[in-house]
Amino acid sequence: MLTLDWIGNFGYSVLRLSTPLIFAGMAAVISKKAGMMNMALEGMMLCAALGGVVFAGMTGNVWIGLLGAVVIGVLVGAVIAFSSLSGKTDLYLTCIAVNLAATGGTVFVMYLLTGEKATTSAAIKAYTLPTVVLPLINKIPLIGPMLSGHNVLTYLAFISIFAVWFFLTRTRLGLRLRAVGENARAAASVGINVKRIGYVSFLISGVLCGFGGAFMSMGWVSFFMKNMVNGRGYIGLSACNIAGGDPLGAGIAAVFFGLSDAAATSLKSQTSFPTEFLEMIPYAATIIALMVFGMLRMNRQRKIEKGSQK
Amino acid sequence: MNKTSRVEFTVELVRILTAIAIAYAVALVTLFAVSDDPVYIIQQFVLGPFSSVRRVGSIINLAIPFTFTGLCFCFMYAVNKFNLAGEGIFMFAGCVISWVAIKLGESVPAPVMIGLLLVIGALTGVVVSALPAWLDSKFNANIVVSSLMLNSILMFLSIYIMMYTMRDTTIGSLGSLPIPDNAKLPQILGKFRIQAGLVIALIAVILVAVLFYKMVFGYKMRVVGSNPWFAKACGINMTATIICAQLFGGALAGLGGTCEILGNYDRYNWVATTQHGFDGLMVAVLARKNPLLVPVAACLLAYIRIGADVVNSKGDIPIEFITVIQGIVILMVAAEEFMGRYKKKLIYKAAEEELAAKEKAEKESAASKGKEE
Repeated sequence: MLTLDWIGNFGYSVLRLSTPLIFAGMAAVISKKAGMMNMALEGMMLCAALGGVVFAGMTGNVWIGLLGAVVIGVLVGAVIAFSSLSGKTDLYLTCIAVNLAATGGTVFVMYLLTGEKATTSAAIKAYTLPTVVLPLINKIPLIGPMLSGHNVLTYLAFISIFAVWFFLTRTRLGLRLRAVGENARAAASVGINVKRIGYVSFLISGVLCGFGGAFMSMGWVSFFMKNMVNGRGYIGLSACNIAGGDPLGAGIAAVFFGLSDAAATSLKSQTSFPTEFLEMIPYAATIIALMVFGMLRMNRQRKIEKGSQK
Repeated sequence: MNKTSRVEFTVELVRILTAIAIAYAVALVTLFAVSDDPVYIIQQFVLGPFSSVRRVGSIINLAIPFTFTGLCFCFMYAVNKFNLAGEGIFMFAGCVISWVAIKLGESVPAPVMIGLLLVIGALTGVVVSALPAWLDSKFNANIVVSSLMLNSILMFLSIYIMMYTMRDTTIGSLGSLPIPDNAKLPQILGKFRIQAGLVIALIAVILVAVLFYKMVFGYKMRVVGSNPWFAKACGINMTATIICAQLFGGALAGLGGTCEILGNYDRYNWVATTQHGFDGLMVAVLARKNPLLVPVAACLLAYIRIGADVVNSKGDIPIEFITVIQGIVILMVAAEEFMGRYKKKLIYKAAEEELAAKEKAEKESAASKGKEE
C-alpha cells in the first residue's frame, strides 16, 4: 500500500481537497479581521458553484463561468452585508438564513433551468477549468505527481494565502480593515467609514468564495450537484478560527482538514470498515481541532493573566 | 402593560405580519413567473391545503414536529446561543427510539413503552446537545460550527445504526425492521388523522411557557440572553444557565423526533437529516422566542409547506423554493431596521403623550392642593 506512487497520489488528493477549504478559510480570515464572523461561506460557495456551471454552459467559455461564479459570490456577499450592516439584522441569523435559502434556492434555480433536481450533469455541458503542469517540477519523483497537474484554482488557492496576507498587512485598506476589526469605535473616531469597510470585507469574502465554489463545480467535478459544498464552508471557517484569523495558520489548518478528507476518501476504497464512520472523519476532525485549539488558547490566556498579576 | 410597551407589541406584530406578507407575495410572484399555468398553481398553493379534511389534518400533523423544534430553538435563541444540534438530534432520537422499540418488542404494555421511549428520546437530545454547549463554554469553540459538524456525524451514526443493527433485508427499500404496534402513538380526531403527538406537543408548549414566564430559571435565562452584563452583575450563574437552556432545547428536539417516528412511521427509514431543525429555527424567529406563539408560527409554516407540497405534486414547481421564502422571512423579521424608524417614531410619540398626561395630572393635583390650602 505504501508505495511511492500511492504517497504521490495521496498528496495530490490532499492538495486537491484542500482547495475549497483554503478559499473558504481565506474568506473567513478577511471577515474575521474586519471583526465579523462570516458563517454564510457555505451558501456563498454553493451559489457560486451553480453560477459557474450555468454561466459556463450558457456562453461555452469556462473563464466566463469562473467570472460568473465570482460575481454570484460577490452578490451573495452584498446581500449579507446589506442586511447585517444596513438592516441591522443579527449576523448569525443572516448567515443561517442565507445558507438555508442557498440550499433550496440552488435546487430551485437548477430545476428551472434544466428540469433536474439532483445534478446538472445531464443537462448542461460539462466544463472544467484547465489543469496546469508545472515544468521541471513534474519530473521530480514523489513531489512531481503531488504538486504538478492540479487545477489552476488549486494554485490560485495557495497564492491567495499570500495575497490575503499581503492585503491585510501591507496595504492601506488592509490596515483599515484590521483597525475596524480591533476596535470599530476607535477606527470611526479617526475617520474610517466602518460600514464601508464592512461591505468591502464581505465583497472580498464573496470573491474568494466564488473561486471556492467554481472549484467545486468546475474543477473537483464538472457539474453542479445538490448541496455539493457539504459543510466545507463551515470547515473553512473553523480553519480560520483555529488560527485566530492568521492567513498562514488558516491555510495550514485548511490543508490539515483536506488531509482528513483525503484520508477518509482513500480509506473508503481500501477497507471494509463501515463507510459511515469514515465519512465522519472530516467532521470529527473539525470538532476535535476546535476543542484542542480552544484549550491551547485558554491556557495561554491563563498564563498571560498570571504573568500580569506578578 | 404601559403605553410604550403596548405600542412596541403592536408594531412588532405588524412588522412580522408585513414580513410574512412580503415573503408570501414573493412566493406568489415566483410561482406566477415560473409556472406554465400560474392561476391554477397559485390557487392550489393558497387554497390547496384546505381543500380536503385529510390535508387540513396533515397541516396539523406537520406542525407538530415544527412545534417541538421551534420550542427547542426558543431555548437556544433565548440565551443567544445558536446551537443548531436540533437538526441532528431530531434524526438521531428517532433512530435511537426505533432501535429501542424494536429490541423491546411486543411484550411491553403500550403506555409503559411509549412513556419509556419519550423519556429515552428526550434524554438522547439532552446528551447530544450537551456536547456543543460544553465545547462552547469550556473551550470557546464556535457553537454554530461545532453543532453543524455534530449534525453530520449524527446523520452518519444514525445511518450506521439503521444499516447494521436493525435493517430489514426482506423489503426492497432501505428501512429498519417494523416498529412494534405497542410503540405507536394512536391517531386522534377521526377523519383528520392527527397523531396523538399533538397532545404531547401542546403539553410541552404549556410547560415551556410556564418555565419561561413563571419560574426563576426562565427569568434568569431571558436576562442572560437579553443583557449578559446585567446578568453577570446580578450574580446569575451564566455558564450554568446557558448550558441548562441548551439541554432543555435538546430534550425538546429529541421529543420531536420521537413523536414523529412513533406517530407517522411504520419503520425508521431516514437516510438524511430531516430539515426539521432549521424549520424550527424559523418558527422560533417568527414567534419572537415566545413559546406560546410557537404553535401559531408552526401552523403557518406547515400551511406554506403543505401548499408547496400540493403544488409540487400537481405542477412543475419544485418544493425547494420554500426554503428561499423561509430565508426571506427570517431576514426580514430579524432585521431591526425593517420598519424600525416607524417603530421609534410611534414609541417616541406615545412616551411624549404619557409624559404630557403626567405633567397635566401633576399640575392639576398641585392646583387642587393649592385650593385646599
